[in-house]
Amino acid sequence: MQISTSGDSAILNHSLVKQNMHIDDSQQLVQWLSDIADQRDKQAFALIFNWFSPKIIRFGIQKLNTETMAHELLQDTMTNVWRKAYLFDVSKGAATTWVYTIMRNACFDILRKINNQREDNLSDDIWPMIEAECVVEHQFIDHLMTQQMSEYVEQLPEAQKLIVKGVYFRQLSQQQLAMQLNIPVGTVKSRLRLALSKLREQIGDQR
Amino acid sequence: MITHHPSQDLCLAFVQGELPASLSIAMAMHAELCPQCQQQLVELTEQVGEQALVVESTVGHAVALKNTFNDEQLFAAMINDITVSDKIPQQATIVESPLVIEVKGNSYQLPRALQSVAMSGWLNLGKLSRARLNLNEGHWHSSLLHIDKNGKVPEHTHGGFELTLLLTGQFKDELGSYEAGDFIYLSQQHSHTPYTENGCLCYTVVDAALHFKQGMSKWLNPIGKLIY
Repeated sequence: MQISTSGDSAILNHSLVKQNMHIDDSQQLVQWLSDIADQRDKQAFALIFNWFSPKIIRFGIQKLNTETMAHELLQDTMTNVWRKAYLFDVSKGAATTWVYTIMRNACFDILRKINNQREDNLSDDIWPMIEAECVVEHQFIDHLMTQQMSEYVEQLPEAQKLIVKGVYFRQLSQQQLAMQLNIPVGTVKSRLRLALSKLREQIGDQR
Repeated sequence: MITHHPSQDLCLAFVQGELPASLSIAMAMHAELCPQCQQQLVELTEQVGEQALVVESTVGHAVALKNTFNDEQLFAAMINDITVSDKIPQQATIVESPLVIEVKGNSYQLPRALQSVAMSGWLNLGKLSRARLNLNEGHWHSSLLHIDKNGKVPEHTHGGFELTLLLTGQFKDELGSYEAGDFIYLSQQHSHTPYTENGCLCYTVVDAALHFKQGMSKWLNPIGKLIY
């Protein structure tokens, strides 16, 4: 059966899907997950790994095109299954649904790395597994940094400030900026380089 | 009451992890405010999860069998690798703080989906303030847009689509009035001039090619590019 991307057939297929899943299998998966969570049971993990791996590889090849990337997806997914098994709650849904969300999230983060060169692992925030319960302050740091950064940018010489703001705040390309300011691209590049080394000095090059 | 919801196609693409981060974030924030869509997403996830991990695919299965045979050793090593660490992550590492932003003397708590996204500072243009989100998605620009009391966005159309997710407050345009949680997806054909009486905060995703088409605004097209 082909995995369909259209909404209608997804729903049509649903009744077929239900028949294919044996009740024994689904109870077995739940048992393995709870053994992993409660006893760190490596054998249960090996069994669950073997149950899911062909399907995860299949999904990985479909979404990520290569076998190497599919293996990376398998590794990321199963690592999270091992580490997060204690978060699985059978009253909230099937074991397959839970593993699917872990796989989908890992795949999303890998695709973001490939397509957008970002390793921000946003999937945990987009599809949170548990509700936030208490408040910790560490998240403020980055935004303080952003604020402080714009103060530093303000202190740059006018010519450099224009370039930095164009590139980082308005997301213009260096080519576009060169045209707007009527200067050669080389000048844009050298001003940007100067400005960035100045900013780096100011933040103490901690990052 | 929320009256604008994402389409069935968007919901399905979202649970399949196929939407880019900008739109996934919008979907997550909508679902947080809309129990109806939240429920639908739960059901869709269950369905696509079963399709991906339960249903046997004849074509895919042959490939997978071959892989399993060739990679037996690799997988055994992988299992060892993973189970070597007995550590269970602390619950506290998963719990995040709410992020509060300040704009024009108002503070807003941002939804979970935006908490790890890097933001530029606020750019102020009269009653409009915009902070760009750094998602690195090329010509798809995502921003927070704040419109102060009695503020208005000049009439504009779009080269591509424009998605507005109203986070707090209310606004109106030629097509209707909107509440927090409304998911307003406009295609290229539509043009509109959002106006707010009491101020509002929106999350926007647009295809960067955008045209302002009214009076003075026509000459201020670069400003349009700045806002969105």
